[in-house]
Amino acid sequence: MRPAPLRVACLALLVLGAGALAAFATSAAPAAQRAQAAASAPAALLPPQPPLVIPPAAPPATTPSAPGPGESDDSASLPTPSSAAQQLYSAARPDLLQIRMLLRNGRSQSSVGSGFLVGQSRLVLTNYHVVSQMALDPDVYVGEYVDTDGRSGPVELMAVDVLHDLAVVRVDREGTGFFRVPGHPVRLTQGQYLYSLGNPLDLGFAISEGSYNGVVTRSFYDQLIFTGPINSGMSGGPSVTASGMVAGINVSKRRDGESVSFLVPVKYAQDLLARVASQAHPPRNFNPLIGQQLLAHQREMIDRLLGEPLSVKSMGPYQVPVRESQQLRCWGRSNFRAEAEYTLDSVSCAMEAAIYVSDTQQTGHVSMTHTWLRSSSMHPLQFAALASGQFRVDRIGSARDTRLTRPACSEQFVHTATLPVRAVTCVRAYRKFAGLYNFTLLSASTGDGQSSLQSRLDLAGVSYENGTRATRAFLSALGRSRRR
Amino acid sequence: MSGPWFVETLARNGEVLQRQRVEALPIRFGRGYDNDVILDDDYAAATHAVAELDANGRLVLRDLGSKNGINHRGKRHASLVMTGDTVARIGHTSLRVRPASFQVAPELADRTFHRWEGALPGAAGILLVAIASLFVRWIADSQYFELARYFEALAWGVGAALLWSGAWAFTNRLFGRHARLGRHLFVFGCGLVAILAYALLASVLGYAWSIEAFTHYASHVGMLLLAGMIYFHLCTIRPRHRRRNRWLCAALALLGSGLILVVNVQRSGRFSDELYMWVLLPPELRVSQDHGIDQFMREVDGMKEGLDRSRGRKPGEDEIED
Repeated sequence: MRPAPLRVACLALLVLGAGALAAFATSAAPAAQRAQAAASAPAALLPPQPPLVIPPAAPPATTPSAPGPGESDDSASLPTPSSAAQQLYSAARPDLLQIRMLLRNGRSQSSVGSGFLVGQSRLVLTNYHVVSQMALDPDVYVGEYVDTDGRSGPVELMAVDVLHDLAVVRVDREGTGFFRVPGHPVRLTQGQYLYSLGNPLDLGFAISEGSYNGVVTRSFYDQLIFTGPINSGMSGGPSVTASGMVAGINVSKRRDGESVSFLVPVKYAQDLLARVASQAHPPRNFNPLIGQQLLAHQREMIDRLLGEPLSVKSMGPYQVPVRESQQLRCWGRSNFRAEAEYTLDSVSCAMEAAIYVSDTQQTGHVSMTHTWLRSSSMHPLQFAALASGQFRVDRIGSARDTRLTRPACSEQFVHTATLPVRAVTCVRAYRKFAGLYNFTLLSASTGDGQSSLQSRLDLAGVSYENGTRATRAFLSALGRSRRR
Repeated sequence: MSGPWFVETLARNGEVLQRQRVEALPIRFGRGYDNDVILDDDYAAATHAVAELDANGRLVLRDLGSKNGINHRGKRHASLVMTGDTVARIGHTSLRVRPASFQVAPELADRTFHRWEGALPGAAGILLVAIASLFVRWIADSQYFELARYFEALAWGVGAALLWSGAWAFTNRLFGRHARLGRHLFVFGCGLVAILAYALLASVLGYAWSIEAFTHYASHVGMLLLAGMIYFHLCTIRPRHRRRNRWLCAALALLGSGLILVVNVQRSGRFSDELYMWVLLPPELRVSQDHGIDQFMREVDGMKEGLDRSRGRKPGEDEIED
């Protein structure tokens, strides 16, 4: 049994790439029949698309008549909910854009998201993850917008906010002034209708209705909960109130939930637009900028982690450090399989959100695991073999991951205040972002022939100082009560 | 030199394939039935060559005008002086001619332990393999006792031993006279136990004194032991070629070790087999002192420089650790 995998929730960013599309096609198989049943009345509208359809919003029985699944809303026979949406959509149409990332060579698209023109300016707000390829590899990728009439044009990246997942791009046309990004925070009340706009699954522009349900505290940075269907491809699209005030920017949804979606609060967009206004010209290379933002994130993250001493839990005779908070959640596990000669208990705590850098790299994450193995009936040599197997980790992250250097490791027998342990620290550096490292600490207690406490701390995307600081704090807090 | 004479056809490796006694000179060679020595060789002429004494009393093989002639060491000769060790090639047939008075080499001292053949070493080998496989099964067993699992381990171990030793016995029969399966089983059993014993010893030494090199590079010692095992297999087949076998196995060990290093660097960017020593043993086996956390963290701080140097390079050109 390996240390428990990160229990990061199944959070889907709403950018639509080739890979994402394939994933959806496979995951949506059981939903296909249901979607087909729902679509049987307006059969002319969507005959061949079932594999692209996302699981419907809610079981039909529990759904009130109002919002319904996004796609079947097209039936024009429901008058009440659609009138507001109709008016909104027809007013918003000219300012709604699809943002595509194209390969410079061959100009074939590699990912698709949405965006909107802010006020009467030429600036377009979207998600960082929609334009991440352009920001990281401008030599390979180039951006393009497509409007609701099918006209397209180039986009120029102005600013990114990796931590809140926002970006501003400039286009060659001006907005009509429909989308107002207010200068002051928008006050929302729970249950208030919001309308989310974008181009779901690259099928065409759409509006979907849902409601605001508060601020999520599980993610590291505030996000709004939007209870309504948001699909891939709608990333970066606006969510507006009935009066057309932008409340947030579509960013992600929970794949394990039904219509549980998230918006970036508009106040961060205001900050980013202010930054664009103050800069003379857009930065040439966004990589150092992204590196600085990640450094700022890790500073905040480690300060929060170590702001107060780590809380200590006891596992049998051992004392183990954990941090349980809104962002860092702990889960327990045990092997209650009857046929084993040993008992294994483990606690693992992990942040539920990470910072998206690219579709293959997420960072700014902390997780910790403690595993307590014990046996009274096994021979010490047998137990040693079991504990060794548990302690063995062949690779820390993917060995072939070229964005990180190869790991450098230190290993020693260390005595904390009350517990002798075998400690191993492996560090890998980020090639693109100077000053960022991944730290992994593995430790195994060595004082007892029939009981072994094994702990692991993973810090992704931290500075060297913060990495060693957190490693030291974690290692020092490992202990054993003085009963024996 | 006088008769009788012996004409010996040889295999490429120098072994005698056929020996024919000829009472008197001259000896005629060829494919025709009027020869003294009839060569069943399509590349030999009907009357190919004749061996007789020359004026100096030396035995000479003379070409009788054949198309392919007489060859010795890659060169064609019209006539060739045949000492007892001269090998002449006629067509595709290699042969030499020796008189009855030829001095043979002195007999070799027999160092083969003839009582250690057959069932006895075979049983010992199987026993060693059985003990090793049961021990491995036992030490890795963390479930409730079940006899079937131990029988399974036994079957795998003995099966592997029979397969490996069977292949060697087959080779032995092919190139030597006997299969010597018992000997090969014994060699395999000893090799397996030696490799297992080193794995344990390396763990204990590495863990007790905190000398990680013992486990980091254990595969090289394993390779050396494997080469040693192959050496004993080869010596069982050909006891005379000890020196040659020694060189062969040393080369094999070097090649294997080099391959392990290359694969390790490719896989993990380091020469060692593992990222860190993951073996944990009972506390009674510890000898070295524990370090303080400060000392450990100082070592962690020391890694920063190398990592920062690697950061500036292209992937694949990182500094190689260890």
